[in-house]
Amino acid sequence: MTLSRRILGGAVASFLLQATPSFAEPLFRLDASAPGEADPDKGIDYIGSVLAFNLYDALVVPGQNGTPVAPHLATAWKIDDDDYIFTLRPDVKFHSGNIMTADDVVFSFKRLMALGKGNSPLFADRVASVTALDPHTVKFTLSGPYAPFLGAVARLPVLDSKLVMAHKADGKFGDMGDYGEAYLSSHDAGSGAYTLVSHVPESETNLAKFDGYFLGVPASAPDKVRIRYGLQPATVRELVASGQQDMTSQWLPPEVMRALAERKDTHLLTDRGSNILFLHMNTQKPPLDDVNCRLALTYAFDYATAMKLVQITDKVSAATPANGAIGKSEFGYNASLPMFAQDLNKAKDFLAKCKYKTPDERKLDITWITEVPAEEKIALLMKANFDSLGFQTTIKGAPWTLYTQQVTKPESTPSLSEVYIDAPTPDPDSILYNMYSSKSPPTWESASHLSDPEVDRLLDAGRKENDLAKRKAIYEQVEARLDAVAPAIFAGEVSGVFVGLNTFKLPPFEDDSKRFSAEEYGLQFRMVEMTK
Amino acid sequence: MPPLALTLIHRLIASLVVLVGVSMLMFAIARVIPGDPARIALGPNATEAQVQALRRERHLDESLPRQYWEYVRELMHGNLGVSLYSNRPVRVDIAQYLPATLELVFAAGLTIVVIGLPVGVLSARYRGGLGDHLGRIASIMSVSTPAFVWGVILQLCFAYLWRLFPIEGRFTATLTPPPPVTGFFILDSLLAGDGGALLDSLHHLALPALALAMAGIGQTARLTRASMVDTYRKPFIEMAEAYGFRESRIANRYAFRPALVPVLTILGLDLAALLGNAFLVESVFGWPGLSRYGVEVILHKDLDAIVGTVLIIATAFLIANIVVDLLVALVNPRIRYAGGRS
Repeated sequence: MTLSRRILGGAVASFLLQATPSFAEPLFRLDASAPGEADPDKGIDYIGSVLAFNLYDALVVPGQNGTPVAPHLATAWKIDDDDYIFTLRPDVKFHSGNIMTADDVVFSFKRLMALGKGNSPLFADRVASVTALDPHTVKFTLSGPYAPFLGAVARLPVLDSKLVMAHKADGKFGDMGDYGEAYLSSHDAGSGAYTLVSHVPESETNLAKFDGYFLGVPASAPDKVRIRYGLQPATVRELVASGQQDMTSQWLPPEVMRALAERKDTHLLTDRGSNILFLHMNTQKPPLDDVNCRLALTYAFDYATAMKLVQITDKVSAATPANGAIGKSEFGYNASLPMFAQDLNKAKDFLAKCKYKTPDERKLDITWITEVPAEEKIALLMKANFDSLGFQTTIKGAPWTLYTQQVTKPESTPSLSEVYIDAPTPDPDSILYNMYSSKSPPTWESASHLSDPEVDRLLDAGRKENDLAKRKAIYEQVEARLDAVAPAIFAGEVSGVFVGLNTFKLPPFEDDSKRFSAEEYGLQFRMVEMTK
Repeated sequence: MPPLALTLIHRLIASLVVLVGVSMLMFAIARVIPGDPARIALGPNATEAQVQALRRERHLDESLPRQYWEYVRELMHGNLGVSLYSNRPVRVDIAQYLPATLELVFAAGLTIVVIGLPVGVLSARYRGGLGDHLGRIASIMSVSTPAFVWGVILQLCFAYLWRLFPIEGRFTATLTPPPPVTGFFILDSLLAGDGGALLDSLHHLALPALALAMAGIGQTARLTRASMVDTYRKPFIEMAEAYGFRESRIANRYAFRPALVPVLTILGLDLAALLGNAFLVESVFGWPGLSRYGVEVILHKDLDAIVGTVLIIATAFLIANIVVDLLVALVNPRIRYAGGRS
């Protein structure tokens, strides 16, 4: 009898829960691309960063309105030659109840570097030592001038060292055991506005509001957050349309987004960070080793049509026009440069100056990444534009793993390769140096293989200059110089577009004055305003 | 030694050889996929020193035979390596995802048997009638429509439009899942005596299992019908009819049992194939299973995880085949007494 009652009760509960509308729950539900990494020293993808920003805090955070970084756990900092001295807030509590001190910062840095994953490359070979001067002061001594360091610190999450070491297991790090790797794969040790309730990579993550957050969490923020991973677009569409999911990921196909956006109970949100669609041109291989040929293609490309290809509604597009390699909300953006637009007369003028004249010399191969179907449309658009100018263009799709291998050598890199790249820190150096300095080892980001002494000089100067105004001027020059030597077609500034139910607002994704200088940081659940 | 035991020993030895072959093949194939796994795992900003360190740690800088030897050595200690994709031991990942997939596959297999066999038997018994024709049309439809299409159709109708079942997932988010013992939610619910959890698990399992089973249901029904129709033409059936036995007795006792041998063989292969097809159904229903994980690790060139996942799926395939062989031997005395020679 008892079991029958329990079974009946379970059945009723199960059906009722299926039918419960979203506004009845203090729960914010969204989906994301797999896997979802809970350890903040490992995750570098979009949702891994979102988890890190919500569960953990850093000394500084991405700024707003053109400011690269703003104080956070650190109230102030002093730069003395190669020393960066941070003064910490005394009132920050971890989720365990432990008070955050300088020792936690030292531990967090050492753990990140020992693991050698996640954002550790941002600091590799840059930091000579890190010392706790007193409980509320920490000093980083750099191995040489490196002004982007401050931006990189925004990606250094501070961990509760006592909690982590209390849960260390046997491992390869000597006295540190496994550095808490096993524990932090499904638990958190942060001070963020949300705590980790449960985490199954590839499946789901559940978070709960942390009432002891040092900045406080507004009452309108959701009490709980549930993130599901790897859902198919058709499934997401049904979940949102039936009110069972509040926000989608940015990876939905445009047609699904359009269908959802047409509903009266939804609205669109955009994450405009520093993501540019780069159409890299191989500057080491004919015919694009001639800057005139590159500029001809730059002016032949139909930017307006490219924007339409990713248009979601009349008002919202997944891309906006770009004027160079630096995004509008990014530090160093050069507002004086004109937006790129198709100009066939200019294209023909530059082509006339190009040393490659015969059809045989004007052959181009374009590679797009097969995991991103939208890239194929852009590739077809390029083919149409460039063929009409007199080039012979072939298109080939390549899976991501092949692409990354192919573009690291000039001889195997195609004439043009499409890739979306966003800056990992709020500092433009974090993207431009890897991409365009000839001193940087080749990676999938550097498919143009540019070797330009002026670009090298400016990028080096940017690394050495600590004065913000002077740095800004340097990166404005970098952007202008890149436009002149055209290592890529800067096809557009790409926004992550999300569909949300009208049950909430997220100002950093809706109000331009509240956007942050780095992608992902805006998706902070404490900033979500549940309206129903 | 009893013939059945001989059969079992022969099958186990053959399976071991197959597993070694599969591991060597997958080990080589995983390394042929283009791309540097260390660079992919560490991202574009990693320094060359970091990439080299990871290559050394994973023996990627050594010869292929040496890498294989290191892998086998670790395997002997029950270690399948560490996933570059999830950053966790592959063993932990597989333990996490395998029960969900097996639960789905077993449920689909059960659905195939419970629906496919009776439909086939009834079609054969009433061959030429309206029911037979309808059954055959339905069978062809279910076989010719891919599992993911069935998934979308079932999800759209029963979950989205009529709200009878959940759209996705394995358990309702706001309920507490049963304490994990086996990883199979249904079993764990039963072990915990939690009726609510049991119903919720079944409620979530129903649509994905049916979607995965649809092709198998059609195939089993068609095969059972064909096999039984063939059996109905045998002299011993004529003799049974001449003796005046009841139709149901002839169908169940004399026609069904011989017809079961080819059906069981195909069912075994179907069950193993379900492991592969499960990927699409898992994707549609957000089912956190091993098949979806397998595809992700291939896309990320996660070497240890690829080999580990394939080995586990191959093992499941071999076990399913052994079980089917034993069942066939139990049903058919000629095979049983031939022992390991069959």
